[in-house]
Amino acid sequence: MTTADMVEAVLERIRPALNADGGDIELVNLEGEVVHVRLTGECAGCPSAEMTLRVGVESALRRVRPGLRVVPVL
Amino acid sequence: MDANIVIGPNPRMRAIFEYVALIGPGVGSVLVTGESGTGKEVVANALHDHSPRRQKPFVAVSCALFADTLIESELFGHERGAFTGAIAARPGRFERADGGTLFLDDIDDVPLGMQVKLLRVLQNRTVERLGGTRAIPIDVRVVAGTKRDLQQMVKEGTFREDLYYRLNVLSLTLPPLRERREDLPMLAEHFLTRFFARRREPLPPISAGVMMALQSYDWPGNVRELENTCERIAESCSCGHVRVGCLGASVLFASTESELNDMVATSAPGAGASARAIADGAAAVTVSARGYPDLPLDERLLRIEAEIIAAVLAETRGNKSQAAIRLGIKRSTLGDRIDRCAEFLPPRPSAVASQRL
Repeated sequence: MTTADMVEAVLERIRPALNADGGDIELVNLEGEVVHVRLTGECAGCPSAEMTLRVGVESALRRVRPGLRVVPVL
Repeated sequence: MDANIVIGPNPRMRAIFEYVALIGPGVGSVLVTGESGTGKEVVANALHDHSPRRQKPFVAVSCALFADTLIESELFGHERGAFTGAIAARPGRFERADGGTLFLDDIDDVPLGMQVKLLRVLQNRTVERLGGTRAIPIDVRVVAGTKRDLQQMVKEGTFREDLYYRLNVLSLTLPPLRERREDLPMLAEHFLTRFFARRREPLPPISAGVMMALQSYDWPGNVRELENTCERIAESCSCGHVRVGCLGASVLFASTESELNDMVATSAPGAGASARAIADGAAAVTVSARGYPDLPLDERLLRIEAEIIAAVLAETRGNKSQAAIRLGIKRSTLGDRIDRCAEFLPPRPSAVASQRL
């Protein structure tokens, strides 16, 4: 399973709730161990939401690939 | 009425509140069973409020808080000089609850020796302070709380049967939050209103995505965890609308981690065997850590260890050398570990096969 697949699997899991609020989260880019994700919709730009999603995605991924780092992009 | 009580549509909870109103005015002991965070103390409080004792004290104490020796003086009090440091006489919780209700939470944590003394107090309706000689009459309604199956503990010999019957005159079992999801919207709204009011703000609209996420989460910490989640939202939301992004990572991502482990474990057969074994182990741990919540730590660890070893052995078809490599330990160490947790390991496949023959 590639890292991109894993990131997609994690994002897919939280996507329904985000979609219900008219938002989304997408994988923008993978650079080595750095995962760039973008949050769209009403929650985009909210520091609390960015924090939740970064921490959530990152800790889920790190269980399988300990070195991964998630960076939100605008 | 207690402002903490929210009656939602769940029929079991409605029946419980009706029962509370019915038995509240009585004097018989009540045993309240329920997982952590389901509201045992709230129910004890409601029983008190429904009784003619409501003007008298409601005293709540967790029996898990005190060391074996301290619990006696905590409950029954002590006289001056009863033990080193007892510089003044002090009434116990029973005396302080006189005329009212005493809620003894985590009753399963009362050591066996102390259970006899508790039984005597309940039977005689008098307490003797530690180091004292007077029997002080008390009029207390006792409500006991536990998250464990006391009847099972009686069978195992860790809880006295006579005390069990003395406490369990009336009993109430509180359902976990995951079994009463229809109450989630009302409860969430109640807590959010309260926490936003603390910031002097009205309750903002709550999005559909939030409700969806609340409904799909399992709430291992029950209502207390929901309360915590709502407090977090009220403290960090500033946009005037409660949306998915306001929820904590633990609620949103709860099942994501184990699902990801499963996916990694089942994909790409043969590739990265050791990484897969580690992922398998991690998945087994997440399940088990929740699976044996009532056991002492050592036994939990042994059971979890047994699960991981059994899973890896199953994968290597019983080949211990291969299993040891996957687990990252020496073959001889694996042998020791197997001996150590042998009682929790499933019977070996070969043994099962020979039994069948």
